[in-house]
Amino acid sequence: MNIKQEKQDDKIIFTLDGEINISTSPQLRKAFNATIEDGLKKVLVDFSGVSYIDSSGLATFIEILQRLKKAGGRLHLSNMNEKVKNVFEITKLIKLFNIYDNNQEAITNF
Amino acid sequence: MQFFEKIPSKIDNMPKLIATLLKKLEVVSFKEDEILDIRLCLEEAIINAIKHGNRMNPDLFVEVQMNVSDQELCIQIRNEGEGFDFKELPNPTIDKNLTKPSGRGVFLIKKLMDEVEFFDKGRGIKMVKFLNKEAGNEHKTGKTRR
Repeated sequence: MNIKQEKQDDKIIFTLDGEINISTSPQLRKAFNATIEDGLKKVLVDFSGVSYIDSSGLATFIEILQRLKKAGGRLHLSNMNEKVKNVFEITKLIKLFNIYDNNQEAITNF
Repeated sequence: MQFFEKIPSKIDNMPKLIATLLKKLEVVSFKEDEILDIRLCLEEAIINAIKHGNRMNPDLFVEVQMNVSDQELCIQIRNEGEGFDFKELPNPTIDKNLTKPSGRGVFLIKKLMDEVEFFDKGRGIKMVKFLNKEAGNEHKTGKTRR
């Protein structure tokens, strides 16, 4: 899993490349937690390089969302491929997360 | 085609096993997205067996048996733990459970496979994917179906 981070004003964009699974989730959790501790409250996660997500990956995003909400922050997800989005759809997590087709749309809606 | 493997309960052992199982499936005419579904179900079931079944005890093993016929792919995964009450699994999609981080593995398996059943007091899970969906529809059983 390759995690690229880019700060844009009051936002941070994470661009993920690889698979989100039980092996890579701890790395992801660590990166997100560092962001929350830095006080950044608008977090966008670009899924364009993500080919696979399992239930431990979903759990990681739920934990991050809850931490961010508690800190008064927002989490937007974008650019999911059909297969990854399907995992969010069948688990009904699309009701919990703000998911956008592209980064522009996700940023506009912060 | 038949395949059997037994691994100690360590997550680190899983990627190699999954790779071997998927390699075996290359001879079967599944579509690419079906292979991804099968992979997800294999990983969820093996992780459950290691984490919740055998409680990460490396002295306990996880068995994986895979059979492929003209009609179906059948995978059975069994752990050596205490079993669990598979009839009492909470629905992770209802509002009060939606924010709970865990509890989606079996739900995903039930959604993505054609038939799912537990055996041996919940120590084992049997997952079936039909190669020919129409053939599968001829078997009306009481098992969990998509």
